[in-house]
Amino acid sequence: MLEINNLSFSYPDGSRALEDINMTLPREHILAVLGESGSGKTTLLMCIGRFLQPRRGSIAIDGEDISGIEHREFRRRIGIVFQQLYLFPHLTVLENMMLAPEKVLRQPKKEARRESLDTIGRLGIGELGDKYPSQISGGQAQRAAIARALVLKPSYLLLDEPTSALDLNTTREFGRWLVELKETTTFVIVTHDVPFAEKTAGSGFLMADGRLRSVGTLPEILKAIDHHSF
Amino acid sequence: MKTNSLIRIKFGRIFFPVFPAAAALLFGLAVPPTLAGAEVFTVALTGKYPPFSFYSPAGELVGFDVDISRAIAGRLGRESEFVTTEWDGILAGLLAGKYDAIIGSMAVTPERAKKVIFSRPYYLSGAQLFIHRKDRDKIKTIADCRGRNIGVGLGETYEHFLRENYPGINTVSYKGTVDTFQDMLNRRLAGFVTDRLVGLYQVNQGEMPFVPAGPLLYQEKMAIPVTRENTVLAGEIDEALKSLQEDGTLAEIREKWFGAAARETARGSAIPPRTAAEMLLKGFGITLLVAFTSILLGFILSVPGGWILNNHPPLLYHLVRSFNDFIRGTPLLIQLFFVYFGAPQLGLVLSPIQAAIFTLTVNTSAYMAEVVRSGLMAVGPGQRKAGIALGLSPFQVFRFVVWPQAFRIALPPLMNTVVALIKDTALIAMISVGEVIREAQSIISVTYDPMKYYFIVAAMFFLVTFPLMKLAGKIEKNIRARGFTNA
Ligand SMILES: Nc1ncnc2c1ncn2[C@@H]1O[C@H](COP(=O)(O)OP(=O)(O)OP(=O)(O)O)[C@@H](O)[C@H]1O
Ligand SMILES: [Mg+2]
Repeated sequence: MLEINNLSFSYPDGSRALEDINMTLPREHILAVLGESGSGKTTLLMCIGRFLQPRRGSIAIDGEDISGIEHREFRRRIGIVFQQLYLFPHLTVLENMMLAPEKVLRQPKKEARRESLDTIGRLGIGELGDKYPSQISGGQAQRAAIARALVLKPSYLLLDEPTSALDLNTTREFGRWLVELKETTTFVIVTHDVPFAEKTAGSGFLMADGRLRSVGTLPEILKAIDHHSF
Repeated sequence: MKTNSLIRIKFGRIFFPVFPAAAALLFGLAVPPTLAGAEVFTVALTGKYPPFSFYSPAGELVGFDVDISRAIAGRLGRESEFVTTEWDGILAGLLAGKYDAIIGSMAVTPERAKKVIFSRPYYLSGAQLFIHRKDRDKIKTIADCRGRNIGVGLGETYEHFLRENYPGINTVSYKGTVDTFQDMLNRRLAGFVTDRLVGLYQVNQGEMPFVPAGPLLYQEKMAIPVTRENTVLAGEIDEALKSLQEDGTLAEIREKWFGAAARETARGSAIPPRTAAEMLLKGFGITLLVAFTSILLGFILSVPGGWILNNHPPLLYHLVRSFNDFIRGTPLLIQLFFVYFGAPQLGLVLSPIQAAIFTLTVNTSAYMAEVVRSGLMAVGPGQRKAGIALGLSPFQVFRFVVWPQAFRIALPPLMNTVVALIKDTALIAMISVGEVIREAQSIISVTYDPMKYYFIVAAMFFLVTFPLMKLAGKIEKNIRARGFTNA
């Protein structure tokens, strides 16, 4: 369970990106975070991922404040895939994936390799393991970045616009695959893709202007969106 | 009775092994082996001043001054050991305690006498104007040279003399006789002033069309300087010279080098190609040893240096920033002199090779740190964030994510730095490291064939630098092919 209490955040230049956010993100769900551009979705993910320090408020996972959790332990519980992916260009897709299992989890190389191959296989990019990031398409890169975050088996995986580079077919496939995995990992998906959210997410959040506008099931959220003429 | 300087030199030797053992191994080359326990009389001379000191065709240091040194060492009951060094730094080296005495045909001048103690003279000579044979009718004496160029050895007494007494003459200083002769032949010079004995010998040796003109400009007394603290040694040298004079040894040595017989044996002494090749290869070996050791050490230093420049840790940043700016903003040659002559004042006597490696390491690390910094800067912050998000420690992020990318980006400019450094080793000849250019100069001082030997040296450098430049190009292409543009 991820709990956010009275969270506020301002960028150093003074712009208020988050105002008094209160939300509870239960385990074993696919959660969608919707909202128009500039509403603070990415900022929220960065706060949860400890890349930004909230001005006020707290975030806790399973009752434990995230600011007190040891680095490795924290990263194993909460994974993140950035909007810009940030694959490591000097490593192949497989090497990108094996880095954390080998260096952080201290898994034997063989095991790390097997699990990584398994993961990209399920994501439909099994044959791209030996390619460099510059040699694959945007959609393939997106899946590679997700695969890289998944091999740490985090309880929560934060995804920022994961379908922005996927075509309709792949998006559908990706959605099915998320559903398959939601037993082990809770996905928090920031997205503009309303149909995708509707199909995959059980419940969601609507953000507007740095505030949480509404919480509920996807149909409820969609109704709220209509109200706000989004 | 032990002299001050002896104790100091021994101290230096004992001190040495305390230095990192690896360094000792590496630098072992620089310190000629001496008999254990034997007291050593360390003498400096240039090795480029025939017939007083020069390298024989077999590559051995020989000459009038060399024989005098051996004879004196014999009287002192000590092993003689020679340090060949550039003339323009030879006094500074003595004052820095790098050797006991200079037996290099040094003339007594009031200026020098203020800094050192001179022995009694061991020979007399004088300043002589030499001119081109064709000018014999035009130039009778030095007075006829008004407004014209006259060559002198850099740092030699003649330069001062001419400037003070013949201000109308344009003096041009040269690092060696070979260059002077070349410009005489080119007719860039109307004449040159040098020691009469030396001049005659060299003109004869090189079969040059030059002749003495006019009387001696002044007489000079050649003597042996030691440092002012070394009064005991000064006395001992005087005693030795006196006894050499009395028993005829001095006259014998003089006859050997300047007698009628000398002219015959000295004539046309060419260096056999094999010996020349050996000398050049040995020298180039030292060049490469110094270059690559400095490159390796410099690179190791440049990684934390570049990191500090890129990450701005509060105090360290300003320290490294200003140090790097200073190093890059001052001539390498001055840095070499500073380390070589300055370190002894801090109680650290460095051999020429040690001083060279130290200076080049520091110098190249400053340049490399800038390259490393720009490499690190080219890796975007997103890469670091992604590494952190995967649970890597900050060090692991640097080691596995940032550094491999930064290194690849920095490699081509690093190669340029490496090539620049290899070429810069040419300067270490100035602190008398026996590298390839110094060896070439030794050969040329006997053969008078600068074109040929400098060309060979240039070719040797090119043979090493060219593949490196090619390699840099290849790496650059490779990196571009891999699409190394960073998010
Ligand atoms: N580094 C920054 N410095 C200052 N202001 C920022 C910074 N990053 C974002 N902001 C501002 O904070 C607000 C929230 O930005 P955020 O990136 O969280 O929006 P978003 O909901 O993710 O938008 P999008 O859907 O376009 O990605 C915006 O008004 C934005 O201009
Ligand atoms: Mg965003």
